[in-house]
Amino acid sequence: MTASSSRGGPEAASPRAAAVSIVVRARPRRWFSSQTSRRLAFGYLLLAPAVLYVLLLVGAPFLFSLFLALSDASVADTTASFVGLENFRAAFESDVFYIALRNSIGFTVVAAVFKGLLGTSLAFLLLQPFWGRKFIRGLVVIPFTLPISISVLGWKWMYDSQFSVINWFLSRIGVIGTYGSAGWPVWLGEPHLALLACIMVNVWRNFPFSAIVLLAGFTSVPTEILDAARVDGTNFFQRFRHVVVPMIAPILLIGLLFDTVFTLSDLGVVYLLTQGGPANATKILPVLAYQVGIQAGALGRGAAIALFLFPLLLPLMILMLRNLKRREY
Amino acid sequence: MAAAPRTQRQKEIRRHLWIYGAITPYVVVAIFPIYWMALTAFKQDPDLYRMDQFPLWFHMAPTWKNFSYLFYSTNYGAWIVNTMMIAAWVAVITLVIAVPAGYALARLRIPGSENLGIAVFMTYLVPGIILFIPLARVVSMVGLQDSWWALVLVYPTITIPFCTWLLMGFFKTVPMEMEEAARVDGCGYLGALLRIVLPVSVPGILTAVIFAFTLSMQDFLYGLAFVAPGDQKPVTVGVPTELIRGDVYYWGSLMAAALMVGLPVAILYNFFLDRFIQGITGGVGK
Repeated sequence: MTASSSRGGPEAASPRAAAVSIVVRARPRRWFSSQTSRRLAFGYLLLAPAVLYVLLLVGAPFLFSLFLALSDASVADTTASFVGLENFRAAFESDVFYIALRNSIGFTVVAAVFKGLLGTSLAFLLLQPFWGRKFIRGLVVIPFTLPISISVLGWKWMYDSQFSVINWFLSRIGVIGTYGSAGWPVWLGEPHLALLACIMVNVWRNFPFSAIVLLAGFTSVPTEILDAARVDGTNFFQRFRHVVVPMIAPILLIGLLFDTVFTLSDLGVVYLLTQGGPANATKILPVLAYQVGIQAGALGRGAAIALFLFPLLLPLMILMLRNLKRREY
Repeated sequence: MAAAPRTQRQKEIRRHLWIYGAITPYVVVAIFPIYWMALTAFKQDPDLYRMDQFPLWFHMAPTWKNFSYLFYSTNYGAWIVNTMMIAAWVAVITLVIAVPAGYALARLRIPGSENLGIAVFMTYLVPGIILFIPLARVVSMVGLQDSWWALVLVYPTITIPFCTWLLMGFFKTVPMEMEEAARVDGCGYLGALLRIVLPVSVPGILTAVIFAFTLSMQDFLYGLAFVAPGDQKPVTVGVPTELIRGDVYYWGSLMAAALMVGLPVAILYNFFLDRFIQGITGGVGK
């Protein structure tokens, strides 16, 4: 196939392409009935439903949310009028918004550190060949594969104010006293503990994901390269730092981006555990957006708050985009 | 010489013990909540609510009471049916849309197909929390509010981008010669797709079906925001929102309800997790 015909479309009508088809087919054909144009028409036809669906139900709603954020739309009133940046100004002037922003960022960063540590160490263990490795791996990833609202319910019961099994254990090993004593932690009732409790659920749920992504990265490093580095007299940490990390950087980045997007935009954990309480201690942007936009019915305010997630996510998405472009099959 | 294999063997055993010892804490942390949920689901109430005895095992006979309560006194059965219907419809819609799109992007040499593929995939990363408020309007515009059909409409926004990307990678692995041979033999493009490419792509298509199912089970936000009537909810939303009466938690039946859905999904997803990771990392790690 020539370069011009593979690009298809009108180019196929050029004199040269016509000359080629004369030679091949002995009879000139119009460009729209050529092989290339038929292939492209078929291709666009197959692609159209997906593009339409995405444009209508992701693209249009996204633009619509920009419009809502600039309007005073509410559930009660169907007529919405343009109010400019009023919703954003209102957000910036409310204390709850700052608390939610701070909690969102803190939550994501602290959770990411723990997921990174647990994930890396687990990936190294799973990298070793040992008997029953597949089975153990299957057990360890269950937190990630369990539907989120299901596992959060389990944690809510483990954080119960009186019958918490975590407290039973802590009490048994002597870290805290018995129920009713001064140090008895009420996990979801005390501000600093509640945020920690939510972070713990996120870490529990997603550290297997970090581990599996890292494992996929580690196994993609050819052993010959590591052997060569070993022959050159490098130690384990030098090999890790200068051979493994650069080689798995793309996969590492993608894993981190996915995890950040999932964590930053997740409503389930906090909504089901604490609804943002006590006293806004666990209020994060998704919970605030849900409460303002749906529960209080102020669509415009809610949309504006949710959109604040976008500038937080955008740099990550751009990084990801550059990364995907370099991928190979 | 006889001692050599034995020391080798001992070394292996020591290595295994070391690894098992190191990995046990991870397994315990990962599994304990599920064990605790299962135990709670089968415990009788008087056995459940006391702290003076060892809580990690039964002190009274296990009971099925929590499970039968779900089916006789709550909408649990309806939620399971809703979830199954939603999953089936989402899978069908996803396949009908994502299979042709994945094929077109992978095989038909459309100009800019690589960029288009990435653009479709990026929409998977637009989080629901940004879209759910405008989507609430879309859902009520088409009159699907307060029914599980709303979720059939919106879940494909998650599954189509992911499955198109997944299938695109899959179709690239089908040998080109087969299609060309079929076309030389007189099949058109459609004929080659239907008769040659689809039959050899059954594993890839099945994987896409599984993801249409498991990814829509992972959602909580859309189900919470778009479906209010108690009997219309999917099980992942119905259990945490409807089974709790005011401030009273019936932990036994809650855990029974959670695990009965959660475990099958978790196990199914488990088998396909490697494909998920391959999908999102773009096949970098094989």
